Amino acid sequence: MLVPTIAFFTVFVVYPVGFSLYYSFTNFIGFGPAAWVGGANYLTLFTNPLFWVSLRNTAVILVLSVVVLIPLSFLLATLMRRNFRGAGILRALVFAPGIIAPILVGLIWVFILDPQFGLVDALLKDAGVAHPPEWIGGNTLGPISVAIVFIWSTIGFAMTIFYAGLQLLPGDVLEASALDGAGGFKQIWNITVPMLRETFAITTVLVITNVFKIFELVYQLTGGGPVHKSETLVSYMYFITFTSQQYGPGMAFAVIITVLGALVSVGYLFLLRNRDSETSR
Amino acid sequence: MTTPTLRPPRRPHSRRTRRGLIIAGIAAYLITFLIILPLVWIVVLSFQSNSNILNNPLSPQTFTWSNYVNVITTVPLLTEYANTILLAVSSVAIGTVISFMSSFALTRMVFRRRRFQSGIRLYLLAGLAIPIYILLFPVYRIDIALGIFGTYLSLILPYVAVTIPFNTLLLTGFLRDFPGEIEEAAIIDGAGLWRLCWSVVVPVMRPVLATLLVFNIIYVFNEYPFVSILINNPAMTTVSLAVSQFQGQYSTDYGAMMAASTIILLPQLILYAVFQKQVVAGMTMGAVKG
Repeated sequence: MLVPTIAFFTVFVVYPVGFSLYYSFTNFIGFGPAAWVGGANYLTLFTNPLFWVSLRNTAVILVLSVVVLIPLSFLLATLMRRNFRGAGILRALVFAPGIIAPILVGLIWVFILDPQFGLVDALLKDAGVAHPPEWIGGNTLGPISVAIVFIWSTIGFAMTIFYAGLQLLPGDVLEASALDGAGGFKQIWNITVPMLRETFAITTVLVITNVFKIFELVYQLTGGGPVHKSETLVSYMYFITFTSQQYGPGMAFAVIITVLGALVSVGYLFLLRNRDSETSR
Repeated sequence: MTTPTLRPPRRPHSRRTRRGLIIAGIAAYLITFLIILPLVWIVVLSFQSNSNILNNPLSPQTFTWSNYVNVITTVPLLTEYANTILLAVSSVAIGTVISFMSSFALTRMVFRRRRFQSGIRLYLLAGLAIPIYILLFPVYRIDIALGIFGTYLSLILPYVAVTIPFNTLLLTGFLRDFPGEIEEAAIIDGAGLWRLCWSVVVPVMRPVLATLLVFNIIYVFNEYPFVSILINNPAMTTVSLAVSQFQGQYSTDYGAMMAASTIILLPQLILYAVFQKQVVAGMTMGAVKG
């Protein structure tokens, strides 16, 4: 019963990872023979200033996403949990952006953020702002806009996980604390958040791994430009591998992204565990 | 297929909690409105002329169907949907059946070495950390080596493989907590393995399976990196590839672009609207426990 799953997974996931890892140490150009070049591809990347630009942009998106998305989606879940009329429909609507293809999400947001014909800047101009910000296409705001769009497309997913977590909490604990006079934010901060620690951890790790996969949004919103200033790790790796067809360095780049993504996730979980063991002492 | 929810007995609301409820409701409606505003905006633009979108986006004037007529007559959307549905049905069917089999085995069968069992589960779950992009080029080469490049098998096989980790997480997470006594009772009653799965386990797992199906189908519909590399035959185009195609085709006709986006969005939103209850229930049962 196990054989088909293991076979599929090994041939189309594990073997390709090994393949990429091996060729990241060669001067492979996509066909023909490849010579072993050791760590040269990695060295080239580390001396490429654009690699560091894409790393910095990814870090900006990562920090913004975790700092904004996690608290926002959690608070939204506590709102949506209340028994007002239409709460079920709202929960479904908030999740809706999450099922749209990222390639389409990027396109949709061009019509919101474009400085010429986008909705936001049109509204700002109407309100009398003479020089509304260049959300996309400019030199500085690209990564922030990508983060905004990423948050938009993920908030429903994160909210649903928190909502599901809240449903599992024993109601009597919350009621007892409410009777003790812990209402509103005090209750949320002192009782609900600690009880949902595991849900927070899962959601944060999912958000982190998804940030390291952002590609289509960049491709649509800024194309990585101007002159690669708004590339993220994956979009720049895609450019190196498939646009300029440098497979060796591209594979090295892919390996670095995988390792970084895993390190950040594991590091976060490790920090969390350490803090937990301290507080329980 | 509704899931029973336990409601606390109604008790009279104090004035304070009632006011809190109203404020929470208003806030929730406002936030939801902001979140779906971009989607509404796309639909509004899809009924506008191109010059109006460029010059005067804030004041919609002429209401026109011409963008839709334009898209339907130039983009082979029906073929693209047929292709995508073929891909989704075949890969999700294979993926669900084999992941169910292996997850059932991993949580039920008695292995001689327990460590071997949890080792296989971890091996499959490790796939969650692998970004698709590291697989693209090697999979292209494997497809050529297997002689399936240029056919849908070149996509179906990797789709099955990359959905295995998530499916395993969801299914083993649920099956571990599923009481074995029910199954034992069924076996004593003479049910074979096949009947056991089909008429005892599957019915209980409906919300989890629904979640799994919805997420896998959405994945295949939205998948872009693999199709952009592995499909170069225009007749085999899928829905997600269509987006970048009509972008190239209508590079300056924004009205048509928005109409095409709306046509692609709607069926997905409807599919989700039908299953959203099961999705939330399934995520509660599987994913949250981790």
